[in-house]
Amino acid sequence: MLVDDEPGFTELLKMNLEKSGDYEVQIENDSTKALAVARKFQPDAILLDVVMPGLDGGDVQALIQSDPILSNTPIIMLTALVDSAELSEGAVAQSGSSVMLPKPVDLSLLLRVLGEAIDANQP
Amino acid sequence: MEPLSIIESVLESLPVAIFAKDADDDFRFILWNKKQEEVTTVRAEKALGKNDYKLFSKESADYFRSVDKAVINRGSLMKVPDEILETKDGEEVHLRTVKIPVFDEETQRQLVVGISEDITEQVKSHEQLESLNKTLSEANRELQETQMQLIQAEKLESIGRLAAGVAHEVKNPLALLLLGVDYLSQGVEPDDANVDKILTQMREAVDRADRIVRGLVDFSSQRALTREPMQLSRLVEEVLLLVRHELTRSNTKIELDIPEELPEVFLDLAKFEQVLINLIINAVHAMSDEPQPKLVIHVRSESLHRVVKNQGARKREVFREGDRVVVLEIRDNGTGIDSKDSGRLFDPFYTTKATGKGTGLGLSVSRKIVALHSGELSIKNREDHKGAVARITLPTKIDKTTDSSKSNQLKDVDNNARKLSSSGDV
Repeated sequence: MLVDDEPGFTELLKMNLEKSGDYEVQIENDSTKALAVARKFQPDAILLDVVMPGLDGGDVQALIQSDPILSNTPIIMLTALVDSAELSEGAVAQSGSSVMLPKPVDLSLLLRVLGEAIDANQP
Repeated sequence: MEPLSIIESVLESLPVAIFAKDADDDFRFILWNKKQEEVTTVRAEKALGKNDYKLFSKESADYFRSVDKAVINRGSLMKVPDEILETKDGEEVHLRTVKIPVFDEETQRQLVVGISEDITEQVKSHEQLESLNKTLSEANRELQETQMQLIQAEKLESIGRLAAGVAHEVKNPLALLLLGVDYLSQGVEPDDANVDKILTQMREAVDRADRIVRGLVDFSSQRALTREPMQLSRLVEEVLLLVRHELTRSNTKIELDIPEELPEVFLDLAKFEQVLINLIINAVHAMSDEPQPKLVIHVRSESLHRVVKNQGARKREVFREGDRVVVLEIRDNGTGIDSKDSGRLFDPFYTTKATGKGTGLGLSVSRKIVALHSGELSIKNREDHKGAVARITLPTKIDKTTDSSKSNQLKDVDNNARKLSSSGDV
């Protein structure tokens, strides 16, 4: 599931994920609706923007992690705030229990991190 | 010595130099009064019976002779251009002379009578005044330059504050572009319906990044005040592009209340962006404890009535009753203005923010910029006490009186008075 207030970005990311990763992708551009939509869709992982109007990424992360159904869902935060130099060579920052990736996002890195996160979460 | 006649006594005691030459006797001097002795430093007994060639340099004498002849030809009074006479002691005497042709019935001779006023003091005080005026306009120019530098320094501070946000705003279209490239580089089927959509998105992303970067560059540029006619809606649009990130990050709702058709105002876009950015960022800071921060930008045009005279004893009353103005208001629902701060809001370096968070120049510079546009900026608490409102009032008519190009420097005085010198041959 993609939560980001930029419809263009989510649309293109969805196309890419569907084309190369064989994922089924749900988009939500309104962060205040993210929790409700996630409960319904029950994604394997959530890609979450940080700076959004309404609820920001941190708020949505807190809501999801305290939700009984969703608390174990891996969250990957995407943000233009992170200095990508600090994240070179595939290094990944942590935000609480979530992974953080810089925007613009390196698709192959994202696919790898996403795959690992979903695998790690399988029972 | 014969006693002087009444006429001669009068001539001697007049405070103007008087001389007469006999045109029928090679322009020899036949009259040379006391004041003429003073200004030329030539005694009457030395001068009488001689002509200009005996008393002055050839160049000067040639000139005097040509004027004398012209006076006779014309047959009427002639004003001679101002002259500078260099005396034997090296002093400069400025003279303003008229020459009159006089025909002496008794002797049947043509005379030329000259009357010279010593204007040396006048010229000197004019020169002093001119030099003072030059110093004054120089100081004024320096002051204006300093003001512009201060405005620019404050702008650089704004740019620093905005840079992170603007970078973030540019990264979003870049992220979108990269995703487009990723998708297309994997190879696409000819019937892939996504391709058109992706290309359109990519083009829009480039336009958006370009607009944001160009907005910042235009805003940063240092120029003299260059005003152009525009609608205030355009200004608001450009500013929102630069502060969008600050508004999103602070979760501030923004409401625009701007009519489509407004009279144009005459303004410098970059400088006014600086004002609006200052006011918006201030408002966002004032709302930081507000759970639902909301900013309303309201623009209207109106005719002024009940104009309150400026109590601050400013140089002139900016607006008059009945003036057409455009008013832009930025209303926030923040903490409002504390009564202890209200009198000092526009004081340079006055700030309620923590050290390092603001220099306290924003509002003083903003008011200066608005004043340069013949407008007014005020900040007050809202009437419903639910925050503050910043109000900019601008004239709709084109007002050129504050253009920096206009200088009040005095024109250089026409300083081509003839310089003449007396020869030592006296």
